[in-house]
Amino acid sequence: MTSSPPAVLELSGITKHFGDITANRAIDWSLNAGRIYALLGENGAGKSTLMSILAGRYQPDAGTIRRQGRTVRFQSPAQALAAGIGMVYQRFMLVAPLSVAENIRLHGAAGRSRSDRQGASIRELAVRYGLAVDPDALVQDLSMGERQRVEILKLLNRRADILIFDEPTAVLTHTEIAGLFEVFQRLRDEGKTIVFITHKLEEVMAVADEIAVMRRGRMVARLAAADVRSQHDLARLMVGREIILNVDKPPAAPGETVLAVSGLSGPAGSSRPGFEEIAFEVRRGEILAIIGVAGNGQEDLAAGLAGLTPLKTGRLTFKGRRWRAPQWGRKPHEGIAYIPADRDRTASVGAIDLVENFMLTQLAVFSRALRLDRRRAAAATAAAVERFAIRGGGLKAPAGNLSGGNLQKLVLARELARHPDLLLAEQPTQGLDVRATEAVWQALLHQRAASAVLLITGDLKEALSLADRIAVIFRGRILDTIAARDSAAIDRIKLLMAGLETG
Amino acid sequence: MIEELAFIGQIAVKSSIAVLLATLGEIIAERSGVLNLGVEGMMLTGALAGAAVGVATGNPVAATVAAALAGGLLALVHGFFSISLRVNQVLSGLALTILGLGLTSFLGRPLIGTRPGVRLAPWPIPGLAEIPLIGDIFFRQSVLAYLAYILVPLCWVLLYRTRTGLKIRAAGEDAAAVDAAGINVFRLRYLCTLAGGLGAGLAGAYLSLAYTPGWKESMTGGQGWVAIAMVIFAGWNPLKAVIGAFLFGGLTALQFYFQAIGIELIPAYILRMLPYVLTIAVMVLVNTGGGRRRGASPAALGVAFNREG
Amino acid sequence: MAWRIEKRAAGHGAAPWWTLPASFAMALAVGALIFALLGHNPVAAYGAMARGAVGSFYHFSEVLVRAIPLMLTGLAVALAATMLLWNIGCEGQLVWGGIAAAGVGLFVAPHLPEVLVLPAVILAGAAGGALWALIPAVLKAYLAVNEILSSLLLNYIAIIFMEHLYFGPWRNPEGFGFPGTAQIDEVARLPHWGATRVHLGLGLALVLALLLFGALRRTPWGYRVRVIGHNPQAARYAGFRLRRHVIGVMLLSGALAGLAGMAEVSGIHFRLQQGLAVGYGYDGIIVAWLARLNPLAVPFTALLLGALIVGGEQLQSSLHLPSSISMVLEAVLLFGLLLSEALARYRLVRRASAQPLRRQGEPTPP
Repeated sequence: MTSSPPAVLELSGITKHFGDITANRAIDWSLNAGRIYALLGENGAGKSTLMSILAGRYQPDAGTIRRQGRTVRFQSPAQALAAGIGMVYQRFMLVAPLSVAENIRLHGAAGRSRSDRQGASIRELAVRYGLAVDPDALVQDLSMGERQRVEILKLLNRRADILIFDEPTAVLTHTEIAGLFEVFQRLRDEGKTIVFITHKLEEVMAVADEIAVMRRGRMVARLAAADVRSQHDLARLMVGREIILNVDKPPAAPGETVLAVSGLSGPAGSSRPGFEEIAFEVRRGEILAIIGVAGNGQEDLAAGLAGLTPLKTGRLTFKGRRWRAPQWGRKPHEGIAYIPADRDRTASVGAIDLVENFMLTQLAVFSRALRLDRRRAAAATAAAVERFAIRGGGLKAPAGNLSGGNLQKLVLARELARHPDLLLAEQPTQGLDVRATEAVWQALLHQRAASAVLLITGDLKEALSLADRIAVIFRGRILDTIAARDSAAIDRIKLLMAGLETG
Repeated sequence: MIEELAFIGQIAVKSSIAVLLATLGEIIAERSGVLNLGVEGMMLTGALAGAAVGVATGNPVAATVAAALAGGLLALVHGFFSISLRVNQVLSGLALTILGLGLTSFLGRPLIGTRPGVRLAPWPIPGLAEIPLIGDIFFRQSVLAYLAYILVPLCWVLLYRTRTGLKIRAAGEDAAAVDAAGINVFRLRYLCTLAGGLGAGLAGAYLSLAYTPGWKESMTGGQGWVAIAMVIFAGWNPLKAVIGAFLFGGLTALQFYFQAIGIELIPAYILRMLPYVLTIAVMVLVNTGGGRRRGASPAALGVAFNREG
Repeated sequence: MAWRIEKRAAGHGAAPWWTLPASFAMALAVGALIFALLGHNPVAAYGAMARGAVGSFYHFSEVLVRAIPLMLTGLAVALAATMLLWNIGCEGQLVWGGIAAAGVGLFVAPHLPEVLVLPAVILAGAAGGALWALIPAVLKAYLAVNEILSSLLLNYIAIIFMEHLYFGPWRNPEGFGFPGTAQIDEVARLPHWGATRVHLGLGLALVLALLLFGALRRTPWGYRVRVIGHNPQAARYAGFRLRRHVIGVMLLSGALAGLAGMAEVSGIHFRLQQGLAVGYGYDGIIVAWLARLNPLAVPFTALLLGALIVGGEQLQSSLHLPSSISMVLEAVLLFGLLLSEALARYRLVRRASAQPLRRQGEPTPP
């Protein structure tokens, strides 16, 4: 960096508490025009809170924000946007049943109001920044990548020049990510300021000009991307200790086939595309990962295999017994434990305590005739809490008070306690911090000795760390199944996930 | 034959106006994401306020405005509880209905048996009223009925052809997205809830000033609840609200017709049940009908908005 | 030094104890305002109400009499609401319980051995309510029809039908044109406590409250009902059959409301007549929510509401104010509960630096 242009935005001493938790502590940061900033940190480091303060969603408890030298105080996102600061949230702020143009119009027309003129101006912006999208399409029919483009157009239409993105790549395919980064660069070249939140080091290295690292509410480092020598250094800054995510994995010793499916398609009675012609088998003693970018049918596949939603066609063989797809799911299957992706709302009940949550899928085990055997359930829960080091207020605390990692460990402990023949784990570490991720991974590997494990995930690292074989799902079909030992496979898997190569 | 048809049609329209007005109001409120089950209470309060101001002033405009405002005032109570305090909207709405029932019964006692101060008699529209059949059915009604005719397309235009309507519809689908667009969801929802109350209040005014002038305890007889059901039937579309209201009015008219001609084709008690049975049937129809989910419920209906999620 | 309102960190947990007293205080305050606006001395009015409710043994026994149907409808609403079902149709189920009980008492009892008459009447009451509740239950479970509206609209239908019965085919031929059925036999009546109108229904309601509490807390069925109520998605994940539970819970809920109607017919009126459907079904909603859906608390909140109703009637006879003031107070009580529960989500926190409070119309704290 030779000359330093004037800061377009300056934060000093920003502090924000939520109850007893300090999400941001005395943060100083300044942003310049025409730069791409990466804000790096683990889950819970306070990145999203800081950005929400910039975008006017939260107000800081202390500290000041200066916009082009003038102190500003945003009481709402509208005020921040009026000052040229816009944010694209992880959960897109789009109204699904409305059209692209309506969504943009909703956001404020920057002086124009006629809908036909609006369509024209959207197209004009879209061309200028390479953000192709049909103004008349309904948002609910768009892909995640397209929706993100609508979000960016919304901000550009309001003449925002600081654009903040909260984990923008989380829901994108690899090709869409590449496209997004191109858009970033075009915006930067037009003099806009880009800030994006991430915890993926390779993204930082790929596109950022400047890097800021947050840890436990503090900003621990600010550096130019050019000065970063290795991803390892960044990782150390982010976590505060060397991360070892290479799980020790003894070679698999596959036993008998527990589940074999062929020609599976579903879900029945739904207009969603779902999945088609799925075939695979999992054996006791191995982990099969089915990997795909979110929205490629793996959610439906998991629910279908778990018997929660009806399947259309195909055959299943579970523990030697054959099922036709429509019959599967009529009654709960003994021997299948399922860890759904949504641990807060599907796998647990926030309002009841840990013991009662531990009974959820084992009601028959913990009831005698007409009575619940709470004492026995409490003993089993206590054992699980001990074994998995689940922290958060004791057995009688509502499960809703647990952190994501502790809750997931509770769910895991419960499902393992059922001694399943097949363990079906869907996105088991999504949103967890490094420590909890390690614990979950260790437990899944450990379970491999006793069960067949089917891991459905969107996280390539997770699949590579755990799986013995990896099947890639794209648009509802399994394109190929690859042995995980093959180190050359990684690039191929990435291409398959993006649908760029067929099986 | 034509005369009888005109007679039944006229009474059917006459009997459907209160439900129509209340339905329109509730559509606006629900479109913005606020479920107000207090329609029955707001309607009753409107009816009493209209009757009372009518007796006090003899001025139909004052009586009508008072009725609408009384409904609106009650709606704001619901707004405060459901939008600001974010309590359970079903409970708050039920409490509002009970409050309306209790308050009107308590305060309306002196009015029972008094001569109504205002009677909105049918006012044939010159020219239009002369059209055969149609004129008799639609254009020999009270002024408030004509107001309802105008409000139907107005509400539709508001919802589908204005930016405000866009905001309302969006707020009912995804409040967070609307908030992120810099729109004040709270104010928007308050205004829509208020509109719902004004509609219910007007519906009450129609009952106590035009339909059966004067105050009677519980004179709404469940029409507020029918209106809420008709919102579902209409698929939250003001134009379709006309159909639901007219079905309700039609059955009510049939009841009067059979009474008037004195034949016991269908027992009287069955006839009295019919409008309620129809309303339930109509809800079943919506959920099973072929046009599956064309007018699906606003996704954020009944869900309070909280910026912290 | 400034104070600031802050959200409590814990999202799950019991509401503080003071919410119920606070709602009661709020109801009294609003009532006082209404009395004062109408030119009555609030102290005198409340005095009259209090004397009416607990001024003498007789008056208190009347409170108990009212509390019986309130307990039963309160339990009915509480059970359904535990599973996120809104049974607003208790009034109609109560009516059908009354119709069934009266029907058995009038027409079946003569053909039964005496010892079986009362059990038959009680069972008929429960069955009448349950069957009427089956309609919204089936509509909800199989056609996803909103049970609030369907159960409520059915109330009107039930009442019209009951009126048809006692004005028409069931009218007492020796009743001199009085709209009502003939009286049921002594054997079909619930035994009374001394000279009061308090009847066996009280014991029945208390036992049912205990049973329901135990069933919800200590049985697998109760566990499933609670889980479905908290989180239907988790219940589906756990393999609970939602439809079956919707039907079962609504049947039970309807049976409880039906028992309330039976108790009114077999314990108070001894016939079907005007005055059976006086709103106990709707009051049950308030009883249940004041009790926070806890069956053990229902008897107490039912007593509270019973006192309010009896007090209101006393107000009518002593100050000539309409007894419907009790309905106003009930509604305000419910609003008060909602308000104090909303307030309980926040706490006052002392803070060092003063900062402007939040904008108007947006009570969410930062």
